[in-house]
Amino acid sequence: MYSLATIDYLIIIIYLSGMVGVGLWFAKKHTDFDDFFLAGRSLTTPLLITTLISTYYGIDVLFGDTQLAFTDGVVAWFGYARPTYAFFLIAALLLAERLREDDFKSLPDILDFYYGKKTRYVGAVTSFIYSLPALSLYGFGMVAEVTLGWEPITGMLVLGGIALIYTLTGGFWAVALTDSIQFVMMCLVIVIAFPYAMSFIGGFDTMIEILPQSFFDTMGDLNIFLIIIYASTGLSILVEPTFYQRIFAARSYKNVRNALIIGIFIWGSYDWLITILAMSAKVGVLQGTLPADIAPDAALLTVVVAALPAGVVGLFLAGVLSTEMSTLDSYCLVAGGNVSYDIYKPAMKPNATDHELIKTTRYGILLSWVLGFGMAVQFEQMLGLWVFLSSILISSMLVPIMLGLYFKGFRKPLAGFLSAGSGLFSTIILNIYIMKMGKFDAIEETYVIKWFGIDFLQEFVMYITVPISLIGFFVGLLLQKGRSR
Amino acid sequence: MSYWEIFSWVTMVILGIGSITVFILFLKDIGQILKKFQEEQK
Repeated sequence: MYSLATIDYLIIIIYLSGMVGVGLWFAKKHTDFDDFFLAGRSLTTPLLITTLISTYYGIDVLFGDTQLAFTDGVVAWFGYARPTYAFFLIAALLLAERLREDDFKSLPDILDFYYGKKTRYVGAVTSFIYSLPALSLYGFGMVAEVTLGWEPITGMLVLGGIALIYTLTGGFWAVALTDSIQFVMMCLVIVIAFPYAMSFIGGFDTMIEILPQSFFDTMGDLNIFLIIIYASTGLSILVEPTFYQRIFAARSYKNVRNALIIGIFIWGSYDWLITILAMSAKVGVLQGTLPADIAPDAALLTVVVAALPAGVVGLFLAGVLSTEMSTLDSYCLVAGGNVSYDIYKPAMKPNATDHELIKTTRYGILLSWVLGFGMAVQFEQMLGLWVFLSSILISSMLVPIMLGLYFKGFRKPLAGFLSAGSGLFSTIILNIYIMKMGKFDAIEETYVIKWFGIDFLQEFVMYITVPISLIGFFVGLLLQKGRSR
Repeated sequence: MSYWEIFSWVTMVILGIGSITVFILFLKDIGQILKKFQEEQK
């Protein structure tokens, strides 16, 4: 733990109070469910850039990516982060326009439109599980432990609780506006931290001298199958519930397209700088200026807190909290919407009023937070949890959503249901099986099980489950007679 | 200075200038959004 100056605490307190204030300000200003859940479909390009970037950059990148950079070097950017930009470009140029053609409000809405209610419910459950804020809460625990010396659970409860309050009260307007403040904070603190970190380790040339050559190998010495899996987690953007929510909340398709194209440059720059910061933490460890036993996923935090002067540390921590909060609030809101709009309304009360939907969404937000907290306490490391959640989403949603959107002849209810259901079911079963029967490998930092003489990593689950979802789809297509919807 | 280092400084400039520019544009939009809320309240 690093001792913080009074000015650091003051900055953090002002920041946290500001976030709660925004939520409370919007508490009574919603006119209907569209306003609460989609900000009245009026997001402009700058608002979309800020909310897309700050939401998508949560734990997975800030700590998951830097964990990889700390252990393996620039492959974290080339192998893990870079492929996602290709998927963002696909989303900007091909997917967003298609999604804006119909009046959807959520990802399960699309499944309902193409395949019917049953598939909608599978989609809602998948989206709900994926949106559980486990990663963000885990991150809050780590931030609190490394910087404030708190127990991780206390950090999760206090810091996660503040994000919960403004999401519960303010809805999507509060989320979008706090995201915008959080966006500029998270970007600027990385910009400020970079020269300090370079100075801390003795310059960039020192990094090149001290780190092994493999740290500058663009594909590193990672297993090729693992690189493919890390890269393919970027596929999740094509079926990402918070991403879809922002497309639906935009004023027009052009706003989304422009936001994504501009965003790619900011995303890429941010990813690169945090990769280099994590590598500078490795240099600090090898030089003996940082503790040898720092956890790889806490590397970024450790080096930046050690390198920055008082006052700037407070700003950095507020920026890190911003990164987490902007993700937690967005995912909680989507999960709440899954409960109210995607399950409660169609299954229990089709004529629910907007007031009832907003109330149920708030219960859903609370439920997702509690379940996410349970998961955050259970998982041992972050990258594995991110891959687990991504694999659930991709295995269950990618095939039915993409085939439904682009192939009219494939829109048969049984096909969608079997594809989504088999993808979800097989992913959960396989993950649980590997975690129960396999062993945690400290080198690979994941669970490994021996199958047919091959070391099968937990991350490889998608190699099995996506084909299962595809097979399920075509089996349903063959079994169901008649024309598509 | 290595290519790695040059690339890093370039990304720092893109991130700094890009995020400030986007935030200024956001501040322009937020004025209209808050005005809309105030009108609805009346």
